[in-house]
Amino acid sequence: MRKYTTALTAGLLLAAACKDNPVVPPVDAPTTNAVSGQLTSAGVKTLALGVLANDRNLVSELSYSKLPEIYARDMYRIDPNEPRYVTETLAGTPDPGSFSGSGGWTNGYVTIRAANTLLAALPNTPASQVSPAQLQATTGLIQTFKALEYYRLLELRDSLGVALQPDNDPNTVGPIVCKAKALDYIAALLDSANTALVAAGGASLPFTPPTGFTKYGRDYTKAANLALFNRGLKGKVDVYRGLQHQSPVAGAFTQAITELSTALGTATPGGVPSSDFKTGLYVTFVAGGTENAANPLSDSRIGVNPKAQAGLQAGDTRASKIIPLAKPISGSGITTDVTFVGSDAGNAANLTNPIAILRDEELVLLRAQAYFEAGQPLNGLADLNSVRTSYGLPALTLADVPTLDAQRNALLYEKRYSLFFEGPQRLVDLRAYGKLKAGVTTPEVASDPFNTAIPIPKTEADARGGRENLTPSCS
Amino acid sequence: MKIRTVILGVLAVLAASAAQAQQRRIAGRVTGEGGAAEPLAGASITIVGTTIGAYTGVDGRFSVMAPSGPVTLRARRIGYTAKTVEVPAGQNEVEIALVKDVLQLEAQVITGTATAVSSQNAANAVSVVSGEQLTRVAAPTIDNALQGKVAGAIVSQNSGAPGGGTQIQLRGVSTILGNYSPLYVVDGVIVNNNSINNGLNVISGAARGNYSSSQDQSVNRIADLNPNDIESIQILKGPSASSIYGSKGTNGVIIITTKQGRAGRTNVDFTQRVGRSTLANKLGTRCFKSAQEYADWAADVVGADSPAEIADNIAAYNAAPVKCHDYESEFYSNDQLSYETIASVRGGTQGGTTYFVSGLAKQDNGLAPSDYYKKQSLRVNVGQTIGSRLHLNANSELLHTITQRGVSGNDNNGISPGNIFSATPSFMELRRNADGTFPENPSPLLAGSNPFQNADIIKTPESVFRLLGSASGTLNAYSTERQTVDLTLTGGLDSYADNAKIVSPAYGYTEASAQGALAGTLFNSDANFVNANLNGSVVHRLVMPAFTAQTSAGFRQERRQYTITQITGRGVIFPTVTSVSQAAQTFPNQNQDLVKDFAYYAQEEFFTLQDRLLLTAGVNAERSSNNGDQKKFYTYPKFSASYRVPMLPSFVNELKARLAYGMAGNQPTGGRNTFLTTLLYEGVTGARSSTIKGAENIRPEKATELEGGFDLTVWNSRVRFSATMYRKQIDDLLLQAAIAPSTGFTSQYINGGQIVNRGTELELDATPYERGSFTWVSNTTFSQERGKVTSLPEGVNPFNPGVGSFGTSYGNAWIEPGQSTTVIQSYDGCSIPLPASGRCPTASKIIALVGDANPDYVMGFNNSFTFGHAHLTGLVEWRKGGDVVNLTNNYFDGYNLAADTLTSQKRIADWRTGLPVYVENAGFVKLREITLGYDLPASLTQTLLRGTLQNARLELSGRNLHTWTKYSGYDPEVSNFSNQPLGRMQDVTPYPPSRQFLVSIITSF
Repeated sequence: MRKYTTALTAGLLLAAACKDNPVVPPVDAPTTNAVSGQLTSAGVKTLALGVLANDRNLVSELSYSKLPEIYARDMYRIDPNEPRYVTETLAGTPDPGSFSGSGGWTNGYVTIRAANTLLAALPNTPASQVSPAQLQATTGLIQTFKALEYYRLLELRDSLGVALQPDNDPNTVGPIVCKAKALDYIAALLDSANTALVAAGGASLPFTPPTGFTKYGRDYTKAANLALFNRGLKGKVDVYRGLQHQSPVAGAFTQAITELSTALGTATPGGVPSSDFKTGLYVTFVAGGTENAANPLSDSRIGVNPKAQAGLQAGDTRASKIIPLAKPISGSGITTDVTFVGSDAGNAANLTNPIAILRDEELVLLRAQAYFEAGQPLNGLADLNSVRTSYGLPALTLADVPTLDAQRNALLYEKRYSLFFEGPQRLVDLRAYGKLKAGVTTPEVASDPFNTAIPIPKTEADARGGRENLTPSCS
Repeated sequence: MKIRTVILGVLAVLAASAAQAQQRRIAGRVTGEGGAAEPLAGASITIVGTTIGAYTGVDGRFSVMAPSGPVTLRARRIGYTAKTVEVPAGQNEVEIALVKDVLQLEAQVITGTATAVSSQNAANAVSVVSGEQLTRVAAPTIDNALQGKVAGAIVSQNSGAPGGGTQIQLRGVSTILGNYSPLYVVDGVIVNNNSINNGLNVISGAARGNYSSSQDQSVNRIADLNPNDIESIQILKGPSASSIYGSKGTNGVIIITTKQGRAGRTNVDFTQRVGRSTLANKLGTRCFKSAQEYADWAADVVGADSPAEIADNIAAYNAAPVKCHDYESEFYSNDQLSYETIASVRGGTQGGTTYFVSGLAKQDNGLAPSDYYKKQSLRVNVGQTIGSRLHLNANSELLHTITQRGVSGNDNNGISPGNIFSATPSFMELRRNADGTFPENPSPLLAGSNPFQNADIIKTPESVFRLLGSASGTLNAYSTERQTVDLTLTGGLDSYADNAKIVSPAYGYTEASAQGALAGTLFNSDANFVNANLNGSVVHRLVMPAFTAQTSAGFRQERRQYTITQITGRGVIFPTVTSVSQAAQTFPNQNQDLVKDFAYYAQEEFFTLQDRLLLTAGVNAERSSNNGDQKKFYTYPKFSASYRVPMLPSFVNELKARLAYGMAGNQPTGGRNTFLTTLLYEGVTGARSSTIKGAENIRPEKATELEGGFDLTVWNSRVRFSATMYRKQIDDLLLQAAIAPSTGFTSQYINGGQIVNRGTELELDATPYERGSFTWVSNTTFSQERGKVTSLPEGVNPFNPGVGSFGTSYGNAWIEPGQSTTVIQSYDGCSIPLPASGRCPTASKIIALVGDANPDYVMGFNNSFTFGHAHLTGLVEWRKGGDVVNLTNNYFDGYNLAADTLTSQKRIADWRTGLPVYVENAGFVKLREITLGYDLPASLTQTLLRGTLQNARLELSGRNLHTWTKYSGYDPEVSNFSNQPLGRMQDVTPYPPSRQFLVSIITSF
């Protein structure tokens, strides 16, 4: 009998084991199932913030916040533990497989994927959750940020081109297109976004965006103000379109003037008060905590190229942006004893300095640039001087800058110091004007290669079967 | 469900057919070899051809009921060669003398959860390492102790830091991104071998950021076990043997059997070891012979070339009292004694209670000041026989380890001593000042970092409390002369709490410069792991004159669970505060996981032709919550055959041919889902899709192995030779296929592709000389393995597995069909004429496959000599070939501070032209172990301690005493990223290797 009992016990144990539920749901992180299907207003907010936060991730990358400024010879970063900040910038070429050559790409496309996912899902949002006008405002915002992201990628890559991501197909690898085509694509995207923002009328965003939208002179939660931002960005894109050598777009500068004027509230040349210069849309930073997104420029290994300090005109109050270092920093053949005021890591406030995406001072200077290029130097000087004089410098007359080249140099000076350490705009300009090459620019070290663009990363090349498949298509 | 019905049916049939026919009692005694004819307790006696048997008692005596006719008795005991004795019909008294099994020809080899066969019959090349072989020279951890002892295993240490960090690879790389560790099973319970990143990154900045990383130089937790508690280790090297472990068996299985109580007189063992470690190897540093030489260096490397700077540098050099420090000797000079105390008591009564109790206290010191590894353990094993049919066994082991490994490996904060030495001209003083403070490092290349200060003030303790427990019951449910049914139920638990801390006070020069306004770092990690197992099995043995059939079936249920909670605090101003709540900023992180596995298995072993032919067939069906389909059972079959060839020439004792085929799997460790990544923006949560695309149908990797070989024993069993060849094929690899980042995803989980590993393993065990009191026993192992990626799935291009590397400039792992799995990719030459700068532009550097991390072959030479009371044992391991990427050289070259300036500057100049100069051949020959021992003569031991002392031995031993290699780094055994399947070969300012010397007294009462 005992044998039967034993057998029965064994059988029961087996049966008990089978009863254990084999399904274990993931507990560490949510899955994409959480946001598929119908969106709620909270879902819209979460996904929209995902787009904005990932844009900040791109801005925080060294490939966006530092390398372009190093290439443009305003910034040094000297780190005894990481010589590649010099050896792959001013002393050598970037390695597409690692460090300085592998960044500034993926994050842009992750933002674009997040934008595409949200844009595809927005039409499924019931009106009870988000009103149609608010949906238009959200669509306009996300499309504008998608365009911004492509523009940022293009700033870094220039003639290498960028890949266009198929909107609703995460499984297909999109073509790499040339600069002209990419600019056309971005321009069309911005126009489409503008249509949505205009259609939104007096509506606001259905959620509270980060304070960079509201804290700096203009309330960008309003669709109407987002439209101004959109036009400003379009104007910046059109200036870039006009400057490209291969196929300058006819009328681009005239168009840019119109758009920038719209963005500046139809102010006449020279008519924007300096008190508005800081007005704009900003990326904001938070130090520490789980978020831990400190301003990437708050970095004690950053220095300012001594030539940038030497280039300042006497009396220019923007000189305060450059401060002495307690101890000179040197390495890999370069040395400096000055740094950017926002890079002093000893000043904790620097960790949370915002970085402008676009502010009115840049719009004024962009319009000045467009006026000069469009052959309207007096209008250009009016805008230029409104900036110059606000920093304690005498106004320039046409006699001071009689030629287009002189006008460009004057403009580049103002852009350099007004927008000092504020993104790749100087790299874009120097490159466009052919001023970043041997014979024009003094080499920083003997082996200075005059890098002008960050390569398309090796991972992208590998996935496409080799670098030979990265040739951009213009067709 | 069906399986249960079948089991119940079989049991019912067996119960119905009972027949017993015992007619006489045979009594006898079993003794061991040697003049004194020492009685052997615990030897098993069976009547050949039946299931009838008995065990010997303390006096070596047994008695067994036998059929009336002539019978054959087989006597067997662990460590002795089994012997069969004919007992004629009239004889009822028998004396059996067993001979020691020096070459372990007859060790029991585990074939299933509850079954084993003698290695004489085993169809697989299973390596058995005895506890004695394991602990001959005290090793830091179990895995260290296996180095050089097992053909087919490459056992590599990650660095010289105390406390472990060792990887065992059986039969090559079997996965690219999946789990790479062999499965560890202790007394039937699957135990955990995870590595928990202990947060070093928060001060080293190796991977930057505020969290732990794979560059934390962490330890795999099998290191916790106490090697002295091990009776034997069996190594199932591949799926043909490990298929019973289903989707955890691909990387092989290491089965550890611990010491159990044994009936017999109470035995007390006590061992005391004392020793120390010394720096085994130095890199050296440049000596500046004149102030001018230094000023020239500073002008060149630092750019200090103004007249004032040159004058300052000359003055600084002239003022230095010591012109050339040997920083390594000054720093790695911890001369505290290490010790190990081991005690155990073993005893019990036959048919009653048996017990084994052991304890350990140990401290190993690291080379750097204040680095150490301490371990304490207490283990209790109790066996209880109830009646004649039920046996219960319980094990419980409590372990505590505490490790302080200091800082080593890659860093970005100028904190690794190796990194600091590579950037500090050697006339600069770093040692403690007379007033107790430390000088700020004056090197212009560093921000004050002083390793002496760091070692003094930075604490990195990691403390683990671990409880390993198991209980099993075996019921002899049914027993006749021809048949037995045994039911076994084993439950086990492996649970540990791992607490790691890092305390880096704000006033440290490195801390202050690296963290700026937020100097003062604390890190606290709490990890809790629980593995629980339940195994049930039924074994039926049928013994017939023509054959023996052993049928087993059962289930195995496993649950693995962990929670890791880590928090980093920055900006802790007060140096004595170690609470993260005082931090200005905190960075929390938590990971948790739960895995449930369930498997059924069944196996049939069939012996026939006078036990010459063994045929085995088995199947394991397993589901796991790690798989995409959590309810699906995946099946893993196995088949094997071995045949002991009869009618051999007289000098041949045994010749066995064997063939085994089996399948095993490797569970996915993620990949079922596409996660949402949450991103905070001003404290508000945003979310976007992760950059890694999931796969809903992710399934285990599938390994299929075919193994064949033969074992030959000749010349009175004095020489045994074993040869094995295998082909292991892994399909459905778990891959994260790289996809173009422009899609917004960087990779995707996918099953596909194939790796094929082929290899040869040879073992030669011999007693070349045995005369009088002199014996020489020799074991030689050889293994050679070639792994190849034979295909990648559609749409997956060759890729860098991204397991950790520093870019193609130095060398990284690379997965490409047709190439070795362990190939190293780097630049090799310049595609354009070299520019005047001597630097090839990166885009023009030619990418090539320049090396291979896998050694060409590995050999182990283990020799023991006994002469009277004296013993000498030595173990040498030879690895031929295999490459390592030596970034440490690049550190020194870049600052021109290597000892050999000419070689160094030529090397870096070559590197700039695009040559792979940092990929180095890392072959070596190491004297792993050497022991000289002396047994005190019996005449002496018997007079000592009033005769209670049985044996006493004095030993002098050493570990890793010498390495012969052309490798220019510290140690060719290195891995900056700790344990990982590929890309181990990164040498970045590691913890230097040590030599260990030990003096031991080993006594037995």
